[in-house]
Amino acid sequence: MTDYRRLTEAEIGQLISQGCLANEWHRIEVAEPFEPYRLRHVHFLGDVRIGRLGRAVEVEGVTKTSSIFSASLCNVTIGHDCYIKHVGVHIANYDIGDRVAIVNTGLIVADPGATFGAGTEVEAVNEAGGRGVLLYPELSAQVAHLLAMHRYRPDLVARLEEMIHRRVETIRSDRGRIDDDVEILDVSEMRNVNVGTAARLVGPEFLKNGTVLSDAEAVTFIGSGVVARNFIIGERSIVTQGAILDTCFVGQGCKIGKQLSAENSLFFANCEAFHGECVSVLAGPYSVTHHKSTLLIAGHFSFYNAGSGSNMSNHMYKLGPVHQGILERGSKTGSFSYLIWPSRVGPFSVVIGKNMANFDLADLPFSYVEVKEGRSYVTPGFNLQTVGTVRDGAKWPVRDRRRGPVKRDLIHFQVFSPFTVGRMLRGEARLTKLAAETDRSVEEVAFEGALIRRLLLKRGAKYYRNAVNAWLAEQIMDRIDPVLDDGLDAARQRLKPDAAAAGAQEWVDLCGLLVARDRLASLVDDVEAGSIGDLEALADRLAALHAAYPRDEWNYVVAVWQERFGQALHEMDGEALAGVADLLLTTRGKDLRMILNDAGKEFAVTSRLGFGADGSPEDCDADFDAVRGTFETNSFVLDMQQKLAALEQRVEVFKTRVLAFGEKVPG
Amino acid sequence: MADSTVAARTRQVIADLLKVHLDAVTDEAHFVRDLGMESIQQVELLAALEEEFDVEIDEEETAQNVTVGMAVEYMEKIVE
Repeated sequence: MTDYRRLTEAEIGQLISQGCLANEWHRIEVAEPFEPYRLRHVHFLGDVRIGRLGRAVEVEGVTKTSSIFSASLCNVTIGHDCYIKHVGVHIANYDIGDRVAIVNTGLIVADPGATFGAGTEVEAVNEAGGRGVLLYPELSAQVAHLLAMHRYRPDLVARLEEMIHRRVETIRSDRGRIDDDVEILDVSEMRNVNVGTAARLVGPEFLKNGTVLSDAEAVTFIGSGVVARNFIIGERSIVTQGAILDTCFVGQGCKIGKQLSAENSLFFANCEAFHGECVSVLAGPYSVTHHKSTLLIAGHFSFYNAGSGSNMSNHMYKLGPVHQGILERGSKTGSFSYLIWPSRVGPFSVVIGKNMANFDLADLPFSYVEVKEGRSYVTPGFNLQTVGTVRDGAKWPVRDRRRGPVKRDLIHFQVFSPFTVGRMLRGEARLTKLAAETDRSVEEVAFEGALIRRLLLKRGAKYYRNAVNAWLAEQIMDRIDPVLDDGLDAARQRLKPDAAAAGAQEWVDLCGLLVARDRLASLVDDVEAGSIGDLEALADRLAALHAAYPRDEWNYVVAVWQERFGQALHEMDGEALAGVADLLLTTRGKDLRMILNDAGKEFAVTSRLGFGADGSPEDCDADFDAVRGTFETNSFVLDMQQKLAALEQRVEVFKTRVLAFGEKVPG
Repeated sequence: MADSTVAARTRQVIADLLKVHLDAVTDEAHFVRDLGMESIQQVELLAALEEEFDVEIDEEETAQNVTVGMAVEYMEKIVE
């Protein structure tokens, strides 16, 4: 506990001789040991408390001696070992922690009743309003999703907003806060902004009404030229290079920069946004837009990649910008693609071309959507055997930039899950039915606003069937792998449904969190009833949903297998289980080989155009190999080949073990 | 000698799908370089051939059929 005292007359005299000013010297308190010469040209206004000075402090990598030079301090408390120099206007109504450096800064001020960005309403997804998300520091992708997308449950939304308003009131203050070890350098103006531990603000232009969350394990950086109003920025995010944020939330581990302009937008874990423009966007985890000329507007995205010049529009009609769209997890838009809202694209799909049709392709995941002669065509399931899908699924978990004990956005990374499998089952059923009902004379069929070439109906269904069967088989083998040496009874025990888990049913994607619909319904009911009464309890419940995934997933597998093959898993014998392994080898092996084939296209003749400039055909190949490498040595190819070999070996071992169970099913 | 009807029908399916003149569909014609076939059309071609001959085609087996001649040879083999 630090003891503070008033200045002595001698100290006041010395401070005056050093260019310091105060109308009321008696309102200044200092900590011992106090060395007056460490304050020069300081103007004191109101109540000012200064901690210990004189020790070393790091400022932009250079060790300096804590001191205060050339600054106006108005109703400010300053912690120990701070370095404050050249504050052009003043610092007013702030509590500053220890070892803080504030240099070359125009104005830092907190107004009475400030909420530091909390309580800001972000008009996400629908630019014309109606899906507002209230900000608070602990906002997660899941809560944002519930607020924005579940407007058909007004009681839920009202309860959530009530909780958030209560949280906002705990933040409301007449004083701002700059926590320990913060660097604030070259900031023109900072008004009503709270800054968390160890954050670095180097060169932002203007920050107003916001919170910069940060801690020692997850340092947040706000860089040059940034203009941000009405914002919250999460830990370990980087916002820099002239980015403009107006009424935005930036979650943990994000990178925002290169003159990106965003308004009324939410960016959750590990999003990246450079160069383009975002308006009324709910960007779930791992949404990425890197390029100029890209406009993301009025949309819900996650695990998304925007090709350069991706564009969409939300107001082709006269009633204003009222339309909205959804690109479900894993989807991508190709360069200069265009989508007209309202539309929905299913998970892990690719959109190419200028799409002028409004379509809903939720039941056709892993598809290609392209434009021919001005019309949108879907190739269902085409993206199941592409390199891109495999690489995407692998990259996200290893690119989690979040650090520290609290990772707010709950994320399931699985490409294949009850969510996507459920969609494939629906797609398979619908395509099969369409194929059966469509005459051969018909070249193309309509599907929810888009077109499908009739010839692709059966093939699309086949792709889905193959993928679903591969997933089921792998889940079953994974399930009993731990007990392969323990006999049939042990295997059957493992294959039973989990009585404590959710029953099999449709799954939903809560902006990164995959959950059985019943569990979501229970959460919603509990919020509406008040039994989940505050944001902490809500976060705890969501975390429990996240943890429930493996058990609920297993019950889904059991139910789908039963329905699909008319077989109860826990009644299988060794031969039946060997059949499961054969199914995996057939389906997944085929997938892997087709993916290898897809990878091979990158090394085909058509990929070598332009190589070997000024040289001979032989030089072309040599040039290509030098720049791109060879198929045989490519790391992705080698990885796929290893997976294929491992799959074959696994299946062989598995079959040997289960066939050794020996027992046959009676009858 | 293999059934030329299979060959002729295969070439016709290719020509119709890729919207090229039948004369261009020679055995030496490369699907991508000479006939401009896109990846998605490759899938459609398999489906069209399946329907034409009422057979099931393994995509994996046809993945390396980069010319018309290779495709014809394959179809002649599985249709017989």
